[in-house]
Amino acid sequence: MPKDIRTPMQIITTTTGAIHEFLKKSPAQDVINWGRKNSLWFMTQPMGCCGVEMIAAGCSHYDTDRFGIIPRCSPRHADVMIISGYIVRKYFPALKRLYAQMPSPKWVICMGNCSISGGPFYRSYNTLQNIDEIFPVDVYITGCPPRPEALIQGFVELQKKIKAKTDKGTIYGVK
Amino acid sequence: MVNKHDVKKRMRQLAAEYIHEPQQEAYKLDDTEMMLHIGPQNPIQPGPFLIDLKISGETVRDSKLYMGYGHKGIEKILESMTYIQGLPVTDRICYLSSLSNNEAYVSSVERLLDIEPPERSQYIRVIMQELSRIQSHLLGTGEYATDLGFVTMFLFMIREREYVLGLIEDITGARITHCFPRFGGVRQDLPDGWREKAIDVLSMIHEKCEMYKELFSSDRTYKMRTVGIGTLTKEDVMKAGLTGPSLRATGIDYDVRKVYPTLVYPDIDFKVQTAENGDIFDRVMVRVNEIQESCWIIEQALDQIKPGPLFPDELPYGRRTPSMRVPPGDAYVPIEDPRGEMAMYIVSDGTDKPYRVKIRGPAFALMQGLPPMLENVYIADVPAIAASMDSCNSEVDR
Amino acid sequence: MDGTTVLDSLKSQFPDAVADALIDSQPPHIVCANVDKGRIVDVCSYLKDNLQFNRLSGITSVDFPEATKFEVVYMIASYDHSVVVKLKADVVRDESPSIDTVIPVWWNANWYEREVYEFMGICFDGHPEMTVLVLADDMMGEWPLRKDYQEFPQTTAKYPYSDDQESVVEEKYPLEWKSWPTERHYLE
Repeated sequence: MPKDIRTPMQIITTTTGAIHEFLKKSPAQDVINWGRKNSLWFMTQPMGCCGVEMIAAGCSHYDTDRFGIIPRCSPRHADVMIISGYIVRKYFPALKRLYAQMPSPKWVICMGNCSISGGPFYRSYNTLQNIDEIFPVDVYITGCPPRPEALIQGFVELQKKIKAKTDKGTIYGVK
Repeated sequence: MVNKHDVKKRMRQLAAEYIHEPQQEAYKLDDTEMMLHIGPQNPIQPGPFLIDLKISGETVRDSKLYMGYGHKGIEKILESMTYIQGLPVTDRICYLSSLSNNEAYVSSVERLLDIEPPERSQYIRVIMQELSRIQSHLLGTGEYATDLGFVTMFLFMIREREYVLGLIEDITGARITHCFPRFGGVRQDLPDGWREKAIDVLSMIHEKCEMYKELFSSDRTYKMRTVGIGTLTKEDVMKAGLTGPSLRATGIDYDVRKVYPTLVYPDIDFKVQTAENGDIFDRVMVRVNEIQESCWIIEQALDQIKPGPLFPDELPYGRRTPSMRVPPGDAYVPIEDPRGEMAMYIVSDGTDKPYRVKIRGPAFALMQGLPPMLENVYIADVPAIAASMDSCNSEVDR
Repeated sequence: MDGTTVLDSLKSQFPDAVADALIDSQPPHIVCANVDKGRIVDVCSYLKDNLQFNRLSGITSVDFPEATKFEVVYMIASYDHSVVVKLKADVVRDESPSIDTVIPVWWNANWYEREVYEFMGICFDGHPEMTVLVLADDMMGEWPLRKDYQEFPQTTAKYPYSDDQESVVEEKYPLEWKSWPTERHYLE
């Protein structure tokens, strides 16, 4: 697969973009990353059975609000897209639009077996597998469905990745 | 460096491709009208579907539903799996009430195999059905409350639901997709000490339901938004072929547990909950009353249950055989899902895999009956009406 | 109103159109009958008007390629009594199988018939809107639930489906990210 499909777009066309590229090489980026990782807002997109566990993780027993993670309905307000469920051919163009509507920096979490490799609907004529060849996925959470504690652990791993500057949502190393 | 005009041109091209051609032709819009898409990713239900509304000002003139954003092809998958392999797949038809799906599948196959589970298994299955009904109603009513903006009720109900899920998890081991009944019995018995814990949790839920009913009936803004809106008359409901709480809110007392009784429901004494008007307020009240009725059913079942075997002594095809062969024929056994009548029509040709499985879900009729209800209402009422029907998109799409 | 009354009344009213009528011995004691394809609307109207079967529970279809026929199955129930009737109609499996629609009798037959059409290819004459319900728009015409459908089961869990089929998938679902500008100075 050619490499360019896996990376999100980042074009330097404005002065702000140039300033951001300068800051990425300086120690100020650590402070910016600290702010970003402690308030990851995700888009509520329940596509399948894992969607119910995603909703339950945001509520009282397994509270995600204490990590700064709250659900938002609109993609324009969100940082993280959780692909929670099977991806169906009819929904796939809408999924690409939703990803394009999210403002950068944005991260993708694959939740559940269906988005990773098809799950129990592996043999179906209508589902797509291996979504990480289209979107740059940072964290894979296995399970059918994974428990809400597993989702919280997934978010914590994403926070560690952002702190270590190895996530795929921001492009480091601009020459 | 990249030319930013190329980028903008490409953005415009992508935006133009997004218009769905079949939908544009379907409507001829004049100067006062606008088409509003409540898109595939919607906050109304846990599951994607698309509603197109033709609005003029603030009122909706016409609406059209596009389903299919969650179609997995379960019916085709089940034809290529043996009967016991197909059981976890049936869990995932409607994930909000997965025990009812399992029960419908297992009942139909038991009808083909001509076996009947012993009494202790039947009581355990009844208890699981009612627990599944409680947690499904709590989640459905909570989602509906979010769509009105009443987020506090949603958080209360989810908190209660976690206790019920803890009870279910003690027996089956899973929170959502259980795969618990087996052909001729259930997978494992009730653990020790579960009965006392269940009675505590159920009495707590009974009290909380009283609090919910009082919260719903005493709030003036809530009543202005729900009383008299989205009304269905008895003729509408019978024309649309609905079953479940949406039917019982109009006054017709039709419950599959009384009309086609299976398992030990004839031995248990319960009342079918109905209401009078058929608007949004009544549908929600019927659901909350059903939660209390289910608590009462579980308490009776726990009193009547006696120790005994979980599987019958002689099974014709050996329950542990993965390649069990089922005699040819077809079977249809309806049961009461939290949303209505659920059944599976299974055709078998004598081999170890089903020949055709047709899943008859209750949410199909609920979704079909939605566009006629959305005529001449305000836009702000659309999520309230759609969510009060409590349908499940994955059951329509399968 | 019980199963035997319904059975006798159906047999006496339609002696030529209804064949092999019997009652299941086990609950829910379904009355099963085979109906001639051309008389289905008459039989259904009779059931609704005279015997109070006012709820259509579902319409489905089964494919029998060896016997070269489709079987369309109607499950009919009622809000007033507890008898269920199962009618089966045989449709010949040729280039354009078709049967009359029962929308004039029950309003909610609309979506059930659309679903049967898009999965099996059986056309319902007189239906106002024969389009896809659940499948994607470009899958109309593939009739996935027939026994000789070619693209099932999908055995390679890859997107695109296999290495040499890359171009086929791109025609249907173009990967726009490939058309972004190719200067890659900002990557390692």
